[in-house]
Amino acid sequence: MYGLSAILFGIGVFGFLARRNIILMFVSVEIMLNAVNLSLIGFSRHLGDSRGQVLALFVIAVAAAEAGIGLGLVIALNRNKPGAGVADLTTLRW
Amino acid sequence: MPSITPLLAFYYFALASVLSGLLAVTRKSPVHSMLWVLSLFMHMAGIFVLLSAEFLAAVQVIVYAGAILIFYLFVVMLLDLPDEESRPRYGKHWPFAALGGIAFSVLALSGGVGQKASAATGVTAQPDLGSVASLGRELFGPYALPFEIASVLLLAAIIGAVVLARRRGATP
Repeated sequence: MYGLSAILFGIGVFGFLARRNIILMFVSVEIMLNAVNLSLIGFSRHLGDSRGQVLALFVIAVAAAEAGIGLGLVIALNRNKPGAGVADLTTLRW
Repeated sequence: MPSITPLLAFYYFALASVLSGLLAVTRKSPVHSMLWVLSLFMHMAGIFVLLSAEFLAAVQVIVYAGAILIFYLFVVMLLDLPDEESRPRYGKHWPFAALGGIAFSVLALSGGVGQKASAATGVTAQPDLGSVASLGRELFGPYALPFEIASVLLLAAIIGAVVLARRRGATP
């Protein structure tokens, strides 16, 4: 369980660091959040305590907020500079 | 003697989600990556059911797979990246990124080496651990304030997304 969570988090870290597409970097963040949720639910089950599941629910809410803001940023950036490569985004204003 | 079926199901879900995750971060086409992430989230929902978190499994399917991922897919299609598959997937630093990911996994795994009790088979949980009733009692009892704060956070995110994505000069 925790091993699976750790492996999925590692995959997310790799995806976030290695991909050049900003959307796929966001999705890698989602994979990491999901791995954390898995370990929270595993601990909740292990301890017989539902607080872990409450925390996982809040993590899902924060992930939804993060997705909304992040993709809004991506759309705003795309309007100024088409494409989704992070290497192209080198200026702070244009 | 406990049935072997949950264990088999857990190994299937675990293997499938790790494979989906690996495929998701390595596919060239963003849409293919999204679909593999969808498969990953569905298998994670299966694991949540095995961990007696039925409500969270439903939330996972509805919110993650149904809303967030479709949102990402919409943005991928909206951005319209025709030359995405011909561009390099990874930066030149990807071996370091892989090293970082593996190092993190090994670190997190070595932290859990001591405990052998697998939650997939072992501990007897309360029967209503993940039910809507027990989670609702927690959310509207001791965690009412964090719950309200989460709703304010989501409201802020909605307003922020609208402000960010609005065309400059468009009438509000």
